[in-house]
Amino acid sequence: MPFEALLGAWVATGLTLFIFTFLYKDNPLFKLAEHLYVGVSVGYTIVKAYDTVVIRLIYEPMVVQGDWSLLIPLGIGTLMLARYAPKAAWMSRIAFAFIVGVGSGLAIPRVISSYILKQVEDTIRPLVSMAQGGALAFSTNILDPASNLNAVVLLVGVVSVLFYFFFSIEHTGPVRVAARTGIVFLMIAFGAAFGYTVMARMSLLIGRLTDLIEYADPGYGRPSLWLLLATITTLVVWSLRRRDEHPPEG
Amino acid sequence: MTFAERMLRIDRRIIFLLIGLSTLLPLLYPVGLAIKISPEVRGVHGYIESLPEGSVFLLSLDFDPASKPELYPQAVALLRHAFEKNLRVIGMTLWLPGTGMADQVITQVARERGKVNGKDYVFLGWSPGGSSVIINMGQDLYKAFPSDYYNQPTKELAALNGVRSLRDVNYVVSLAAGTTGIETWYVFGKDKYKFELGGGCTGVIAPGLYPLLRSGQINGLIGGLRGAAEYEVLIGQKGRAVAGMDAQSATHFAIIALVILCNVFYLFIRTSRGQTGQRS
Repeated sequence: MPFEALLGAWVATGLTLFIFTFLYKDNPLFKLAEHLYVGVSVGYTIVKAYDTVVIRLIYEPMVVQGDWSLLIPLGIGTLMLARYAPKAAWMSRIAFAFIVGVGSGLAIPRVISSYILKQVEDTIRPLVSMAQGGALAFSTNILDPASNLNAVVLLVGVVSVLFYFFFSIEHTGPVRVAARTGIVFLMIAFGAAFGYTVMARMSLLIGRLTDLIEYADPGYGRPSLWLLLATITTLVVWSLRRRDEHPPEG
Repeated sequence: MTFAERMLRIDRRIIFLLIGLSTLLPLLYPVGLAIKISPEVRGVHGYIESLPEGSVFLLSLDFDPASKPELYPQAVALLRHAFEKNLRVIGMTLWLPGTGMADQVITQVARERGKVNGKDYVFLGWSPGGSSVIINMGQDLYKAFPSDYYNQPTKELAALNGVRSLRDVNYVVSLAAGTTGIETWYVFGKDKYKFELGGGCTGVIAPGLYPLLRSGQINGLIGGLRGAAEYEVLIGQKGRAVAGMDAQSATHFAIIALVILCNVFYLFIRTSRGQTGQRS
């Protein structure tokens, strides 16, 4: 097995176990892994951003290929740094104005079209369908998203939730009924979101445990087992030393 | 203190241990529970299946290593399917911290299928701007990415023959862990440049993407590790995601059991307190 694969396996196993120690309590091993994670992520981001932006998108096109028109966006971007000099800070507003202006211009029509118009179009569906021979039909298959029954459920859900968020009048009488129905729909939505979140978090745990099982293989030198032993020993020693330094009261 | 009260004050580390064991034991001793394919996953698979050989498939790996357990198996399954269908694959990412990992997954699957970089596939890497990158690619792909991840000029790559912008891409799939991701690809890409779009995402953001699916804004959605497992079953190549499904089911069962037990204990305490209050 190549040395880098072995080293990777030992580092990944160690850091996973160190992070898991937080489930016992906050401790120096967890802090070490946490700080390494933050440091490595920031370091990686800075290096990749420098290489891609400064070298590939600015230096090479300008100096190597002679595309000096890039000086315009570079100049606007550089104005952002003026914020660090209080006397010249006003110049950064030019860059911000450019970003806000272009960003809003690009985003507003697209967002209205995608999030509002398309979604409204999908919400307003016929509550009954036209069957063969011109007769009206009502499909009741709850498992079919396009069924008429689901169109009714969708309509009731949207209207009742909108009523719940309608704060201009007091929620009494029929408005109260509609708002209460809205709460039921909201609870179902929150439940579904929470269920998916639990699934996602468990998937992350499965991912780490799968790696730990893989790295328990003799081919890697069994890092999972050795480092688990080392982590537990360190935690026990740390707990005992802490108990000696801060004995429990009473 | 009654038994119910003691149970509700149980050390939370015991619960962590229970969940850990529910996950670990099925991974060590799998039982192979059946995996039912959902229509949303079938949507992505069916569209790739319908593409003729040589079509252009763009996979945007919009996630970082924190979401690897859910999205990496999806990427592997999609790439295996695309390479098997002899599609021309364009890989890229809108998430800077995921660049190295995205390159790793594409290179690994391409090597496994005997595909050549530059001829059968290309990895463009990352470019700053998020939504602006998509708009830029829609106008001129070579201006958005003058060179690929390995600094080869993109205009000279055989894999990109006949591709000038996003309008020439047959299918785009974004594997997303948040924004920038599937929604950005729809808003700034599909809505304007009219290519077909599918998605893969983490479980956390999946409920928020269902409205896009139902309205036809995306033609399929692979949700979390479960979605990856379904895709692996569809292409007949069971991998890490399928292996994790037993553990997922066991953990969910444990959580449901714990929620029910907690509620039973809570109701029991409330009832007994009510009775004590009536007596006094």
